[in-house]
Amino acid sequence: MYYLGVDVGSVSTDLVLVDEKTNVIEKIYLRTKGKPINAIQEGFKILKNKYDSNEIKAVGTTGSGRQISSTLIGADSVKNEITAHSIAALEISNDVRTIIEIGGQDSKIITIKDGIVTDFAMNTVCAAGTGSFLDRQAERLDIPIEDFGDYALKAKTSVRIAGRCAVFAESDMIHKQQLGYNDSEIIRGLCDALVRNYLNNICKGKEIVPKVFFQGGVAANKGMKKAFENALGFEVFIPENFNMMGAIGAALIAKSTVKKRGKTNFKGFNISDSKFTSNSFDCEGCSNKCEVVKISENNNPIGYFGDRCGKWNNKVFDGLENLA
Amino acid sequence: MKITFPHMGNIYLAIKALCDGLGIEYVIPPINNKLSLEIGSLHSPEEICLPFKLMIGNYIQAIEQGADTIIITGSCGPCRLGEYCEMQMKLLKKLGYDLDFIVLDSPTDIGIKELYKRIIKLTSNSRDNIFNKYKALFNAVKVMNLIDEIEASAHKFAGYEKIKGSCKNILNQCKTDALKFDKPDEMIKMLKNYKEKINHVSIDINKNPINVGIMGEIYTVIEPFSNLYLEDKLMDYGVSSYRKLTPSWWVKNTALIPLKINSLDIKRASKNYLPLNIGGHARECIGEAVLSYEEGYDGAIQIFPMGCMPEIVSKSILPTISKDLNMPIMSLVVDEMTGEAGFITRVEAFIDLLERRRDNVLLRS
Repeated sequence: MYYLGVDVGSVSTDLVLVDEKTNVIEKIYLRTKGKPINAIQEGFKILKNKYDSNEIKAVGTTGSGRQISSTLIGADSVKNEITAHSIAALEISNDVRTIIEIGGQDSKIITIKDGIVTDFAMNTVCAAGTGSFLDRQAERLDIPIEDFGDYALKAKTSVRIAGRCAVFAESDMIHKQQLGYNDSEIIRGLCDALVRNYLNNICKGKEIVPKVFFQGGVAANKGMKKAFENALGFEVFIPENFNMMGAIGAALIAKSTVKKRGKTNFKGFNISDSKFTSNSFDCEGCSNKCEVVKISENNNPIGYFGDRCGKWNNKVFDGLENLA
Repeated sequence: MKITFPHMGNIYLAIKALCDGLGIEYVIPPINNKLSLEIGSLHSPEEICLPFKLMIGNYIQAIEQGADTIIITGSCGPCRLGEYCEMQMKLLKKLGYDLDFIVLDSPTDIGIKELYKRIIKLTSNSRDNIFNKYKALFNAVKVMNLIDEIEASAHKFAGYEKIKGSCKNILNQCKTDALKFDKPDEMIKMLKNYKEKINHVSIDINKNPINVGIMGEIYTVIEPFSNLYLEDKLMDYGVSSYRKLTPSWWVKNTALIPLKINSLDIKRASKNYLPLNIGGHARECIGEAVLSYEEGYDGAIQIFPMGCMPEIVSKSILPTISKDLNMPIMSLVVDEMTGEAGFITRVEAFIDLLERRRDNVLLRS
């Protein structure tokens, strides 16, 4: 019996299967590439060959694509990534006090006391210093993103890079390259700048108390871990499944939801063969002019998103889809 | 003369009642939407705050429908909104619109004579006698108070409702229906009906919903479009929300300022953290945060537009209050770039935090 967690993020879509004891049995990491539906179907195709739909006792979704994926797969729980990440971290270690989470397009800090979240913050007006930016810089320097961290560790000194804005950081990096600094020094400088930006921006007014967990895709970068440790002055832990924490949390939340309710809504792995189409339109009902997205499975509407008044949202549940 | 005005929450209903009562022609700009924001952002300075942009959007959309006179309230205050009327006059003139502005400032700033002159200008097109003019004003205030009360009840009872969504439905229906009445007396009668309705919505008194106080910059807390319909979302989640800043609060507060007996509770509550008025509604925000704790709410949410000076000050004080009183407070910054996904995530996570926190405290006690 397994619990499935699905985390549809901006950059990656993660699927995990955990067992009763929260051992990770299966993990799938896919690039979302702006097509969450395709990514989920791709993941389900892989799972379908190995497991039977009946083996899944609960399904939970999280991440920015949690609503759409929940409609698609029939999730038991739909939770935001902040809750999911903290639940997963607490499952691993109940004395964790701070979670640093840097994902594809957002970064968060979560502070925990006595096993409950007491505070959190998320980047508001800027995404400089998140995974996408590192990805882009790795591409520009022609270094595989996997090796990015090793380069940073090689450097003996760090070059100061302006890290407030991703675009200016890039121009600053180019400038430093043209001055003749080598790649590894610049990469280390970049890691330092990102950490500085994170601490000054997101952690303003928040206390960072050890034990600190560093999770999310960017935790794969050893240079970032080192830079955090240098700035904070104590060790930063990276959990084994750092890039799957959101999905693990989603699976755990689904597990407790199903325990309360008794049965799962899971639609089965076969949805990987269905044909999903989405089209959007501007609702003309009032001057709000909501952009409504309609998702259909094999031409049957299964969900509407984006309206404020609930006129479309409630359609499917009321069984009125034929009138649409 | 065809009057228009910027949107701010439900204030359009009160102004409609006022103009109907006076018999002046008016245009209600389309309810704030993507288009008004787009128009506003296009013509406004980039760094100016969200309220300014939305107001410009409102004006231009109303001008397209034939409006030629704009009424707004000024405050000559230390918050830049007090100077917006001047900037907006210049901006619209540059864009080639020929308009009249009637700015209703508080009499302490412009003198009672000047205010009277401006009000006369506003009512000059009305043929009614002075008694009827006062009656129209009185009715408008009544409409404003009623709709604010209805809204507050809906937000509160949303946490207790037996049928999910009933409060939201009544509130939405009320707003749509109110526009259908062209006689202030009838509108008031209808609003009173809705007030009865919302106060008798079937509720489960045994429910113990999460209670959240909402505070911050006055425009962004009142105008739902600017805060991405935060209060509607809280209603959907079954959370009871409380907001002190309303148009009726503002009118009452402004009227009492000369006597120095305005918002005594807020002044008292903010005393330890921000005893001075630093502009905007920063002191109110701090006071309300403390009051939220005293009322026994689970948490508080502060909303302000990016670049709002007074609220930036209160934002940096709030963590101290949160720590001292052991109550979570979240700050949300909004501007035209605000992505809805991140916004919802934060609100959801905050409600989650409050729920889990409460479960935990209950378990241990």
